[in-house]
This record gives sequence, structure tokens and C-alpha cells, in this order.
Amino acid sequence: MILTGFLCSLVLCFSAAAAETEQKLLGDESDGSRAHPIHLIPLSAEPSEEGAEPIKIDPDIDPEEEVLLPFSTRRTCGDCHSYGLIKKGWHFSSVDPNAQAGRPGQPWIYVDARTGTQIPLSYRPWPGTFRPEQFGLSDRQFTKIFGRQTPGGGAGETEDPDEPMRQYVSGKLEINCLSCHNGDPRQDQGGPTGYAVQISRGNFRWAAAASSGLASVKGSADDMDEMYDPFDPFAVETAQSGKTKPPTITYHQNVFDHEKNVFFNILREVPSHRCYFCHSNLYLGQQESEKWSADEDIHLKAGLSCVDCHRNGIDHNITRGYAGEEKTSSNELAATSSCQGCHLGESSSSDPVAGRLGAPVPEHRGLPPVHFERLTCTACHSGPWPAAEPHVSKTSMAHRLGTPNVNKAREMLPHIASPVFARQSDGKIAPHKLVWPAFWGVLKDEQIEPIALATVTKIIGELLSSENFPFSGDWPDLTADHIVKGLTSLASDNSVEGKPVYVSAGKVYGLDDAGELLRDNAHSAAEPYLWPIGHDVRPAAQSLGVRYCTDCHATDAPFFFGDVTIDSPIAAARGVKKMIEFQDLGRFFTWVFAFSFVFRPWMKIIVLASCAVLAVVLLLYALKALSCVVKVLAARD
Amino acid sequence: MLRIAKWEPNDMFRTISIVAFLVTVGGMALNCIISPCKECWRHPVRKLVQLFTLLLIEQKLSPVGVLRKLVYLLALLCFIVLAVTGFYPTLVLGEHISGYLVMVHATFAPIFAICLAVLAVMWARHCRLARGDWPWFQRAVQRVTLVKSADDEARCESSGLGQKIAFWLIIFLALPLALSIVLSMYPLFGTHWQELLLAIHRYTALVFALAAIVHTYLLIRTRTK
Repeated sequence: MILTGFLCSLVLCFSAAAAETEQKLLGDESDGSRAHPIHLIPLSAEPSEEGAEPIKIDPDIDPEEEVLLPFSTRRTCGDCHSYGLIKKGWHFSSVDPNAQAGRPGQPWIYVDARTGTQIPLSYRPWPGTFRPEQFGLSDRQFTKIFGRQTPGGGAGETEDPDEPMRQYVSGKLEINCLSCHNGDPRQDQGGPTGYAVQISRGNFRWAAAASSGLASVKGSADDMDEMYDPFDPFAVETAQSGKTKPPTITYHQNVFDHEKNVFFNILREVPSHRCYFCHSNLYLGQQESEKWSADEDIHLKAGLSCVDCHRNGIDHNITRGYAGEEKTSSNELAATSSCQGCHLGESSSSDPVAGRLGAPVPEHRGLPPVHFERLTCTACHSGPWPAAEPHVSKTSMAHRLGTPNVNKAREMLPHIASPVFARQSDGKIAPHKLVWPAFWGVLKDEQIEPIALATVTKIIGELLSSENFPFSGDWPDLTADHIVKGLTSLASDNSVEGKPVYVSAGKVYGLDDAGELLRDNAHSAAEPYLWPIGHDVRPAAQSLGVRYCTDCHATDAPFFFGDVTIDSPIAAARGVKKMIEFQDLGRFFTWVFAFSFVFRPWMKIIVLASCAVLAVVLLLYALKALSCVVKVLAARD
Repeated sequence: MLRIAKWEPNDMFRTISIVAFLVTVGGMALNCIISPCKECWRHPVRKLVQLFTLLLIEQKLSPVGVLRKLVYLLALLCFIVLAVTGFYPTLVLGEHISGYLVMVHATFAPIFAICLAVLAVMWARHCRLARGDWPWFQRAVQRVTLVKSADDEARCESSGLGQKIAFWLIIFLALPLALSIVLSMYPLFGTHWQELLLAIHRYTALVFALAAIVHTYLLIRTRTK
């Protein structure tokens, strides 16, 4: 009886929970109007205790009684939009083990020239990347370093079991809806007191409000003691009088109306310049030196915005836009948001779907169809025009472009090369960005795990402290001797379990029993990490092959024979690798095939001339046959 | 499935090709059985030697005759190479021609085209259709037109109707065969037409190959009699 009652109540509870999950909020579903939405709403803050009611923000409170808190997007926006649903979106789901990883994408790259480290990190299981915890980074530490160029959520919102008090002080980095959707020109992602800076100060709770253009935030949560209580007015007042200041918020005048509501200029369609804060690319070739000397993506110039192709619903499951995405994405537009989807449409569709958004249907005149089997669209159309050496590439996520005090030197780490034409998992060759991992690790059971950042910083940082580090942020010139010393120091440290190794330039360096340096050239952990690029798309008139086949099929064409620099802090290990080595193609064959294009015009002439002779002979004898017929018929008369 | 990804090894072509080759070989075998070469059964070694000597250049040949034979032998070699490199990947491996095969194919193709042009010039008169080649047809024409044969019309040297038809078929098919692939190399045709041109090349090559096999078979039959 008791058991039955328990089971019944359990079923009821689950039903209620399910109903709650499925319940749609006011803003979860559009009524179909394409008009600009008006958001005149009250602000709410996160309470100090989990499960408590949100705190309504009143700028006129008595600071001796209450603390003026930053608004919480979860509580403010989440009133009408299901926060739990949005959290599953691509930009926020990296820490979710059930989220589909999809095609390998850009990793977060931790760099430290002082320890010879350049390591690709990701919460997604992309081969070649390491999870931040493998590198000894907690979610909080990760967020502090890389949260600057995220729209919040993800690792910024997970519980921190190691430092719960520190998390209480700084708060969680909630999804910052305004990072993308704020139409207010004052939205400050990368300014001196903007989003990025607030995150670096540990002001996770304050970051969204500080960057919204509605308030200003001073102080730093990182400067506060772990016992500091940001909800206690006395603690705040006490801390204010100290040398280091606690994070405090001041809402700008006239932000609140007479009913304590605030107007948000929310844009449903995110403007491209918002995307650019995290997704800018700078390609530094021989010609291009700065942003202004390179063209933007042709789609933007044609009047489209990023979200015209990269679309999502309330679940924020945005389309990434690559061919085959529909296999892993539940977004209904995943199949039609790729290059082919817009420009060619689906052949299985009963309606004409090619040419969406005015996309021209390509003719590809003179291009043998085999190219479509072996190349992605981006191979010919995306990224900078290939040069003898791939361009030095900078990205917002890797080089924190758009944030204060960026080192603008060309040599600044991480060193990313692009375009590198490499074969991807579907067998097609696509342009990629490439980074060579360099890190200290341990070899255990043939697997290499990176050594925790703190250990490396302590041991290797001290060891290399006397070296000359270029002001440009480039690698120092390390020698084999440095590596031997580093490995010896790590081996003698008790915190390092296993055989210490150093991974760099595609090789694994270790010490033998006699203390001599060994080099292993074939370990998967040392392989460069590559991720395919989609942008910037060049116009058709600038696509590869537009001039002649020899754009690629020449004996010195960068597409096959470009020199990809092998990047390493070890001066002697630097070198080049031919592009074709990333394509699983025979170098000799490709060279001979390219060489054959020298004779291609001759071949055409010979065959056409032969055809002309054949045609003349055929015509001649056809006329003779006709003559016979005419004679036969004429003889009757 | 998107339109751009539709270009894949054509199973239908594979089936048609295999059936066509089997039918042709079967037809030739049947011909051997129905119209057997008695000498071949009596003196097989002698016939094999005779067959082999067909590849040699006879001393009695004039310089033009030597050239004609050399060109023919070269064309035969090119045909074998082109047929193997072209059909092997499609029919045996079930994939498109690629790699070294495509390079060998493209190298021998222009040589073959030149040979065909030379052979067309040199053999056309020899292979023109004459009244004697098809008396049944002549009779049919006479019945329809009520015209009797003119005695003043010189009769051509007959080399067998089948052989002649095969020759003219080869010359005729060589045009779409060569043009379909050469024109696809110029920026004239879009993807859809490129696919069509490739299909034309494939199917023309099949019929061409069958015609060439039949022509060679008939030539051997004629010469070894």
C-alpha cells in the first residue's frame, strides 16, 4: 500500500515536472509578427540563495539596507523566455555531454610563451583537443580566461565543487542575451569596463549588466576575500573602504521609468557586428597587413547578415552551415543552410528551393563534376587566396581581438595558419585553420595527457625565466638543452605521474634511461589540430580555378604544394610541410598530374584537329552517298 | 541528397556495359560455331602463327601500306590501353577513372585520335559501301524504285559488309567520343551539361569499343581465311 502510494506520487511528480518543462512562456513562440519587439520590463537579480525568489531591482533603495545588485538575464529575460531551453543552444551547450559535437570547430587555445605552451582546448569531444580539466583548468578558471568571447553560459554556469565560496563571490556567468540581441550601441563587449574586462576581474555576476549600456560596474570580485558576501550591505560597505574595491553597480540615470521598468532595444535578428566580436578573422598575408586591406565576406557585402544563414529558434540550436550538418543537428534548416542548400537547393524537394535569399545558382562552367566529390564548396570559394605559405591568421577567440591591450604584433601567439587545404572526415578537401600543439605532458599507456597548467607554470616557468622572450609575443628560441632540463625537472617532481614528454612541431620529445633526448615522430597527440573554415567567402570571380585549371593543377600551386610552416618554440624543430601531406594524396602523382596540364592545350588542339579530319571524311563520303542516291533516283526519270 | 552530390558511379552503365560485352563476345563465339574456320581446327598452330604474323609488316607493302599498317597497329594498341584504363575502374572497381589510370588514358587519347584521323583518310575509300556489298538491299531498292542497276558504275573492292559498317561506325562515333570530353574541358558547359557530356562519353565509348572489337574480329576472320 505504502509502496503503491509512493509510486503514484512519483508518477505524479514526474508528470508535473514534464508539464513544467514543456510549458511555453510568453516569448517562447512567435505569433508571426516580423515587427520590432518592444521590451519594457522590470529588472530582476539573482538571489543569494538557490531557489529563492528573484530580487526586483529598485535603483532607489537605501544602500545601508540593501545592496544594489546587477540584473540577472536568467531572471529578467527568463521571465518570458525559457532559459532552460535556450541553454541547450550551440553557443551554451559545450559542457553538456549529451550535446552533439558535430564537425570539429575552432578550439580555445591556451598560450604561454614562457612555458612553451600552445594547446587546443575544448569541452566538445573534437579529436585533437583536450578538455580543460585535463589541462588542470577548472570551469571557473576556464571562464576567466576564455569567457571574454562567449555569450556566457556553458562552463560559466556550472557548479564549482572546488571553490564554492569563490563562486559565491563572483557569481555565475549566465547566458548574456544582450551580447547578441542588444540593439543599444552602448553594448560594450570589449571596452575598458566592458564584458571581457569584467570577466577577467571575476565579476561574472556583474558582466552582463556592466556591458549592457545601462549601468557601470567598478571593483573586482577577484580582489575580494572568499568570505566576502556581495549580498550583505555591511560587507560591501566595509570592503568599499579597503584598498581593493568590491564589485559595485551604478545604473545610469533615466534608465528606469516611473514604474521601475527598463527599455531594452532587443533585436530578434542579431546584427553581424555582434557576431564579429567573437568571430572576427584577420588574415595577414604578404599584401594584407590590416583589416581594411581585406574584403569582407561576399554575403555580407551582398546585404545579408550572419543570421540569414545561421538561424535558430528559441532553442538557440543555431545552424553551423556545413554540408551534412543535418545528420547531427535537429535544426529543421540544417540541410538547407549550407552552401548547397541555398545555391542549389535540395533535389528531393518538390518545390523549387534553389536561389534562396537571392543566392545565384552556380553554373561551374568547364569544371569537371569530380571536383564536387572531392572538394567542399569552401575549398575554392572561402578564405584568403592561397599563397606559397598559408597566411598568418588571427581570430577573436584565439587572440582576443577587440578587447583591451591586445598585442597587435604579427608574431603574437597562438600561431594559426590558414588556409591549409586538408582532407576532412567526409573525405573531401577543405580549407582549414591549423595550429601546432606545444605542451608538456606525461606518457601513460601510449596516451599523452597534458600536465596541469599550475605545475608547468611553476616548474617550467621558473626554468625558462631567464630566457629572452620577444616583446612581439612570439616564441622564445628554445634548444634541445632546454627541453632536456624541462623534462628532467618534471621527472623529479612528485606531482607528475608518468614519463614526462614535451609535444611540439608534430613530435614527442622524451628522455631515455640515460637522460638523452628521444624524438617520436608519430604520435597522434602531436599532430596539428585543424578546423575547417567557412568564411570569408570570396566572389565567384575570385574562386579557385576561375582563371584556369593551373590555379590548383600546377607544379608549384599552393593548393597542393604550399609550404605549411611547422611551428614550435624549439628553433631547430621549425620547418615546413607540404600542403599535400594533409590531403592523403601521392605527392609524385599529384606533381605529374599537375605537370600534365602543361600539355593540356596541345591535347585539345590535337583532338579537335583530328575530329575536324574525321568530320571532313564523314561529310565527304556522306555527300558521295547522297550523290549515289540522287543518281539512282534521277535515273528513273 | 543534393543535386551537386548526385554524380556517382553509374550502376546502370555498369550493367549495360557488362551485358553488351558479354553479348558481343557471345555473338562472335556463335559466329565461330555457325561458320567455323575448318583450317583453324585442322592446323591450329599454323593459324596462330598466321594470326601473329598479321601484326608484322609485310615486305611487299608499299610505303603507304606500311604507314597504314603501322597506324592501324598503333591505333589498336591505343584502343586496348584506352579501353582497359577506361572500363576497368568503372566495370571492375565500380568507381570513376582516377589516379594514374586517368593520366594514361589522357596520354593515349590524342594519339588514338590522330590514328583514327589517319585511318579514316587512308581506309575510307577502301571501306566505302558498294553495290556488291548488299545485293539483297539492291534488289529491294530496285523493286521500290523500279530502277535497274547501271552497268557503267565501277564496283568497289569489297572487304565485307560487317567490317565496313564497323569501320564507319567507329569513324562516326569517334566524333562524339572525342568532342564530348574535349568540349567539357572548355568553360562552355555548366554542371548539368558536364554530366551529360560525361554520360555521352561513357555510352559512346561503349558502343565504340564494341564496334572496334567486332571490326577487329571480322578483320582477323577475313585475313586468316
